[in-house]
Amino acid sequence: MPHALDLANLPDADVVALALEGREVAHRELIRRYERPVFSLIFRMVRDRELAEDLTQDSFIKVLSHLDRYRSEFKFSSWLFKIANNVAIDHLRRRQLDTVSMDGSPHATTPDAVMASAIELSDASETALEEMEAKELGSAIERAIAGLRPEYRSCILLRHVEGRSYEEIATTLDLPLGTVKTYIHRARHELRRALEHTRE
Amino acid sequence: MNHRHLLPNEIDLLVDGEAGFGVAPLRAHIVECDECRARLDDARIVVDALEALPHFAPDSRLADRVMAQVPVFVPAHVAARDSVFRWLPKAGPARAAAAIVGTSIAGLLSIAMVWLASRGDAVVFATGLFIGRLQTLVLGAARDVVVAVLGESAVSALQAAGTLGVTLLVLGFLGTALGTVFALRRLATASSRRA
Repeated sequence: MPHALDLANLPDADVVALALEGREVAHRELIRRYERPVFSLIFRMVRDRELAEDLTQDSFIKVLSHLDRYRSEFKFSSWLFKIANNVAIDHLRRRQLDTVSMDGSPHATTPDAVMASAIELSDASETALEEMEAKELGSAIERAIAGLRPEYRSCILLRHVEGRSYEEIATTLDLPLGTVKTYIHRARHELRRALEHTRE
Repeated sequence: MNHRHLLPNEIDLLVDGEAGFGVAPLRAHIVECDECRARLDDARIVVDALEALPHFAPDSRLADRVMAQVPVFVPAHVAARDSVFRWLPKAGPARAAAAIVGTSIAGLLSIAMVWLASRGDAVVFATGLFIGRLQTLVLGAARDVVVAVLGESAVSALQAAGTLGVTLLVLGFLGTALGTVFALRRLATASSRRA
């Protein structure tokens, strides 16, 4: 019977094989390996810690309940991130969340609309959770990421936070390679503009 | 000097650290062109900031909450294999010793089976002799019991009845015993209900 310590050095495909044999310790090892990256991706997508916890849980439940569908010729992490990203994007679409900007929605056309859509972080009535979220996501780069379209956000986070190659991102998100490169290019451009704006 | 400034996707190639065939001229241009070098530096600032972003930690109970909703199924062949392994020693040397002893015993038994099979007639004779001897002993003991309990005349009556008579007697005895057990059980159940 494998122990948790023995699994830490096994490749993902071997751990998945053990999980398919009904080893709960293998399931937990997969969660241990990827809970932080998956949660980080979803948290930066939805910008709500409690919601991100729920969506992360849903993602892992979906993956671990359907491990028999995993094909070992692909990376397990790519499959997991695909599901996590879809869970986040589906939620954003359902809630019809606009891109969140510290300086107001990019679609706002009048000063009143800008103020109405701007997010105040330093609010005295913030809950402890909101305060923690503000601290975690309050840096200039985090706020700039929040201003990106969800598709750009997924690509740029997978590229530079998770260190995925363009080809892996294309496989993960089911996008053509050219589209991924375009999204990342545009995301970098928008982030650069946003950071220049905050420096001014 | 090439007066064409770098295109945005060429800046991206340099930011991504590409090392393909067409990258060398781009690097050469960067050395000579202040404007493109500034654009590349700006792009690198963004990438550096992104790559420095931390991973956030979810709630420590995430794994427990996930596993509470994931059915973990052990296939039959894995359960059978685990049952066998449970009987084997865990330590490597002990497991090797058990394998050697088990193999040796299995080998000896196999040799004994082959030896016996090669001497089939002798085995049949010996078995018949043994069964005959056992039968004599059992019948002798049973006769002694019947004589002690019922007397010599009962033994004569049983011998006169023959095999059929003895069979009927045995069946009658078994039927009476079972019926008594059943009746006592019903009595006990009825008593407990009344209580």
